[in-house]
Amino acid sequence: MSTPSEQSQGRHASAPEGAVLEVADLVVRYGARTAVDGIGFSIARGEILGLLGPNGAGKTTTLSVIEGLRSPVSGSVNVDGIDALRHPIDARARMGVQLQSSGFQPELSIEQLLRLYAGLYGVHLSRTAAREALDEIGLEQEASKRLKGLSGGQAQRFSLLIATLHDPLLLLLDEPTSGLDPQSRRSLWQHIEASRRQGGSILLTTHSMEEAQAVCDRIVIIDHGRIVTTGSPAELIATHRADPRVLAIAPPSPAPRSG
Amino acid sequence: MILRSRQTLILNLAVPILMLIITNQAARRGGGGFGAGGPSLMIALALSYGLLSSALLGYSITVARDREAGVFQRLRVTPTPTWAIMSSRLIVQFAAAIVTAIIVIVVGGIMHGLSYGAGTYLLIFAVAIYGAAMFLGIGQAVVGLVRSSTAVNALGRVLYVVLLLLGILGISGALGDTFTNIAKWSPVGALMTLFTAVQSTTAWTSDDGWAIVAIGAYLVVFAGIGIRWFQWEAR
Repeated sequence: MSTPSEQSQGRHASAPEGAVLEVADLVVRYGARTAVDGIGFSIARGEILGLLGPNGAGKTTTLSVIEGLRSPVSGSVNVDGIDALRHPIDARARMGVQLQSSGFQPELSIEQLLRLYAGLYGVHLSRTAAREALDEIGLEQEASKRLKGLSGGQAQRFSLLIATLHDPLLLLLDEPTSGLDPQSRRSLWQHIEASRRQGGSILLTTHSMEEAQAVCDRIVIIDHGRIVTTGSPAELIATHRADPRVLAIAPPSPAPRSG
Repeated sequence: MILRSRQTLILNLAVPILMLIITNQAARRGGGGFGAGGPSLMIALALSYGLLSSALLGYSITVARDREAGVFQRLRVTPTPTWAIMSSRLIVQFAAAIVTAIIVIVVGGIMHGLSYGAGTYLLIFAVAIYGAAMFLGIGQAVVGLVRSSTAVNALGRVLYVVLLLLGILGISGALGDTFTNIAKWSPVGALMTLFTAVQSTTAWTSDDGWAIVAIGAYLVVFAGIGIRWFQWEAR
């Protein structure tokens, strides 16, 4: 639990009622370097929260602690009331995760991967159901291909499908649109929005303000492992519009034509 | 996974079958095979290398490659316990070891004119599992100590060749008594002693007992190192 003074320093983003995820006072160190320094935030049911920050800010490290891939020095993580640090398997059963790199078995086809991961989440998926699920994301024709045969956008859509197979309460997306062209990015945003409409809460990391503004209900900006500020995109824009450190860079407008 | 295992199995069988053919040809020409062990030793040699290649060229290389590709991280974010992730791979390896043992013992028996009772077959499979566990321990130590899949690939191949030569040159007695003793108590040598013992109808010697101890010691030490220093991520 953070103190009022900590909150005023921006160390803990406010906790909404009925939180699906509660992270408190998280500290992670790599040797002597502190990667995450007392971060805390919560996500309400049906909310999309963006962790925004530059590379090396501590976004992925924070996510990997929530996923149970890394142990923090201190702090707590609760997923739907379950202590995720003590009971990571129970917590993972309630989460869907899209990692930065695909990391799927290279020798399996898309359809085989889909059925394998469905099984790991305890979902029985018949061959027909698998084909239908792939059809929904426009990959039915690619069912027998290996993942390396897909484009970046297709691979990300597939990865998102795997993460949402079991209708998770909480979806964790680590830079989901990284390296995608604008069209694929918008298409993925629509899929993320569709996941939220089904009732899930989403935590995504990004270093794109545009993405955070387009997708998130609330944004937590972090840098050097600490929370810098938090709020809705509109609040952040209104608060920091006049900040002299916020620069607007626009291409020079074309010179007016004479005659 | 199944496809990859099938290909690996075929590759793992190629060297032992080739060994059986070569030693069979040598015996027919009157060479009598390597050393004084006769056909049982030749089959033991082929069995040992089948298991060795499965662990060093199969298990450790695929684990290193999958780790580098992020497959383990992907599996670890599912509700699957970590012990289940590794066990599933080990079960496949042990199944491959038994299949290798069956094929080598049947082919070797036909080529060298040997036949075994049901009890002997069971003992051979038990030793195959024990030996496979030792080589998987060595493979685990390699992926525990080395992160890069390229380096694991290279080290696995070097170790394979070193252990192969140690076994062949050791039992041939070509390099003197000291080298023969080193070879005899090397992982391959100890396993060959045990495979030869279970094929034999004579009483077990103290060397056979010490071979069981040596294999157990290699298993505990290498598996311990491999588990202690294993990292799920390549970075």
